[in-house]
Amino acid sequence: MNALQLVSTLLKIALVLGVVLGIGGALTWNDRRMSSMMQDRIGPNRAVFVLPPWLARTLFAAPAFLVAGALAAWAYLSPAPASVAASVRATERILITLELSVLVAWIGLAALTARATRSSPANGFERWLASTVRDPRNVFYAGLAAHVLLIPARYAIAGTPLSASLKPILFTAGPVLLAVVVAASALYAASLVPATGFRLRMAGLMHTAADGLKMIFKEDFVPKNGDRLLHSIAPMFGLFPPLVVLAVVPFGDVLCLAGGKVAGVVPSAGICTDPASSVTMQVLDLDIGILFIFAMSGAGVVGAALAGWASDNKFSLLGGLRAASQMVSYEVTLGLTLVGAFVVYNTLRLDDMVRWQGENAWGIFVQPVAFFLFFAAATAETKRIPFDLPEGESEIVGYFTEYSGMKFGMFFFAEYLEIVTSSALLVTLFLGGWQLPFLHRDGLTIAFGDTVLLHYGMTHLSVTLLQVATFFGKVVLVCLVQAVIRWTLPRFRYDQLMRLGWRTLLPLSIANIVVTAIAVLVVQSSPGAANVLELLGDLTQGVVAAAMIAAVVALVLWALKPVTRAQTVLSSSAELAQAQGGTRATPMQA
Amino acid sequence: MNQEPKSPAAESAPQPRRGGGIIGKKLPRPDRSPSVQSYVPEIAKGMGVLLDHFFRNTRDMVFGQRNDPVLEALEPGINTISYPEQKRPYPERFRGLHRLTTREDGSPRCVACLCCSTACPAQCIYIEPAEYPEGDARRGYERYPARFVIDELRCIFCGFCVEACPCDAIRMDTGAHAVPYDSRDQFVYHKDLLLSFANRRGDHQTRNPRAESPDPGWPGIDRLGKHG
Ligand code: SF4
Ligand code: SF4
Repeated sequence: MNALQLVSTLLKIALVLGVVLGIGGALTWNDRRMSSMMQDRIGPNRAVFVLPPWLARTLFAAPAFLVAGALAAWAYLSPAPASVAASVRATERILITLELSVLVAWIGLAALTARATRSSPANGFERWLASTVRDPRNVFYAGLAAHVLLIPARYAIAGTPLSASLKPILFTAGPVLLAVVVAASALYAASLVPATGFRLRMAGLMHTAADGLKMIFKEDFVPKNGDRLLHSIAPMFGLFPPLVVLAVVPFGDVLCLAGGKVAGVVPSAGICTDPASSVTMQVLDLDIGILFIFAMSGAGVVGAALAGWASDNKFSLLGGLRAASQMVSYEVTLGLTLVGAFVVYNTLRLDDMVRWQGENAWGIFVQPVAFFLFFAAATAETKRIPFDLPEGESEIVGYFTEYSGMKFGMFFFAEYLEIVTSSALLVTLFLGGWQLPFLHRDGLTIAFGDTVLLHYGMTHLSVTLLQVATFFGKVVLVCLVQAVIRWTLPRFRYDQLMRLGWRTLLPLSIANIVVTAIAVLVVQSSPGAANVLELLGDLTQGVVAAAMIAAVVALVLWALKPVTRAQTVLSSSAELAQAQGGTRATPMQA
Repeated sequence: MNQEPKSPAAESAPQPRRGGGIIGKKLPRPDRSPSVQSYVPEIAKGMGVLLDHFFRNTRDMVFGQRNDPVLEALEPGINTISYPEQKRPYPERFRGLHRLTTREDGSPRCVACLCCSTACPAQCIYIEPAEYPEGDARRGYERYPARFVIDELRCIFCGFCVEACPCDAIRMDTGAHAVPYDSRDQFVYHKDLLLSFANRRGDHQTRNPRAESPDPGWPGIDRLGKHG
């Protein structure tokens, strides 16, 4: 193991742990705050930290100035390539910094307009915003136009002498502009901090932090006749498996470091294999990838069973037994479901599976039944609603009845980590892992079969960063879907759970194997099928891309629609509220 | 004995209802069709309802366009009152903290008759009556409170004092509730504080008219002439 591998492995572990623990923490918040919002309540957000103004100003300004300084240094230090006009890296840098400048200015202006129109404007500029721009939506449309116009502007002047003379200037000016915009926005934000202090509430995240702190300081209780040793190590057995499973999940393609390839365009076919000069975006590069996951997630049951046994409590024991039998039952389905996927992907390595999905079609299109079965079984494995019988807080409090303080917190957090883990697996196996539709190692290539509609070269580094962001973005989305399922469904009865596992999911997964095997055989033996399948695969990519764009557009259009609400003034309370222009604090009401 | 009056609907019913059973609209049982039995479409429907609320409420929170929890309480959306940033104004007749009303010249309307302290079931009003100084037109006709003290911690906000007062001198229309303090003596409100409170329109007087000494309607001088 050379130095590069050591450093990169440590970095990768830090990244995965940081992101996963972050998502897990955000999920505990999300589960309380967001699930209240579903029921038209606000949820816990009352924990508040009043920062003194100087601290708040520093917190606003300091990171922004660091970023701005780094950007300026980057603009000053990084050498321009010999021929700026022809370099993909230069074009990308100009475009990204310009677009980011527009983005920061755009969002800042929209927020400022919203503030100026809602409360009293603080200065002349805000008064202008409130009187002339009037609506944050106008800022939104203007910013969108600016974003979109940058692209045709670039293509219009591409190849002209104007472009050749403009590019070297913009190569330095882009980062500087971005630095200026970032610093200016931060300064303005800092100037808006009220003299009474900034009320740090972070949409309720402080509440979660306070809960975590509380758990650490609570009494650590062990039942009198309980097994002290097992009682203490059970939470660790619960927390360990979901964390190690993530070691084999790839979150990006291999990054080639050899010979300045990072800043250039790499060919779409072939990956770097030399371990000395390439970094795999995977903590542990195992040949048996998915089997390791089965082994580890199977060990997750030990924590719950041990906790139930060691607590010397009948309800804990019931919970532990339920957990053991439920997880063992669904483990079978989980494994058999994936056999079909193995047959199609033809590998056990998770990164190869993702690559296969990028070249052909995402797993959800190839193995739709397996996707649903895996989803159901994975939800059951995480012991969550509607499969939360081991916990069943309204009947038996569950295997952690006798746990308090941070030991309970570990079980609790392990559940959320299992959501992240199962989402990561689902994304890797069925939702294309780090793949974005039409994004290849050399950039964006929209092609159906052999007809190439558009090719847009991107540097290796930005492709890889985009992939990593894509992977974690997908994981967050699937986590949200799992949370929504939890908020929607009631709990199964135990016999229903077992019947679903053994009589429905298991036969279906076996049927899935048989059907998949026959289909693969048919495809392999018929000569013309490969071309048709390739076209179909490209079509699925197109479908995914179109669906993504449509979803974003629909969401934005819906969000920007003005809201009109009818007022109902029937009580004297409402009359008084109307007289003071809305419900707000009145000075006399302490 | 238990005969119901016959309505036209009951007559046209094909089968008269016998015995107990559920009265009211009959809800259809969910059919055991494959779409119901396979859970998936029903789950999707449920998640749809949830996501509708989720996105709408999240948007309103992010854009700061939440419902006004009192005025728009019947509209869909989050109606939680974020106390203490938002407060529901108490209704018009709410019995809040007391105030002592004033005359036009700013002096208390109270004539120190002790009706209120007598009526008070919690015995939390303490009044020290005093005579107006020599030469004052009101001397001998009415008194004024040299001290007027209400222990708001002891008060049960029954409003009997307001009912008892013959002069409309004590009212509970400040629209403010009792405030928490650190120590008991802070709950003891004295005359000046009680006089400084206004009603919700910012008014220190009341709308009930009162004739004062120069006015022809003031009865005090006549009486003085008769009895003095
Ligand atoms: S409201 Fe009732 S308890 Fe309070 S001071 Fe008046 S009479 Fe006494
Ligand atoms: S407040 Fe009214 S009832 Fe009480 S002493 Fe004064 S005039 Fe009499």
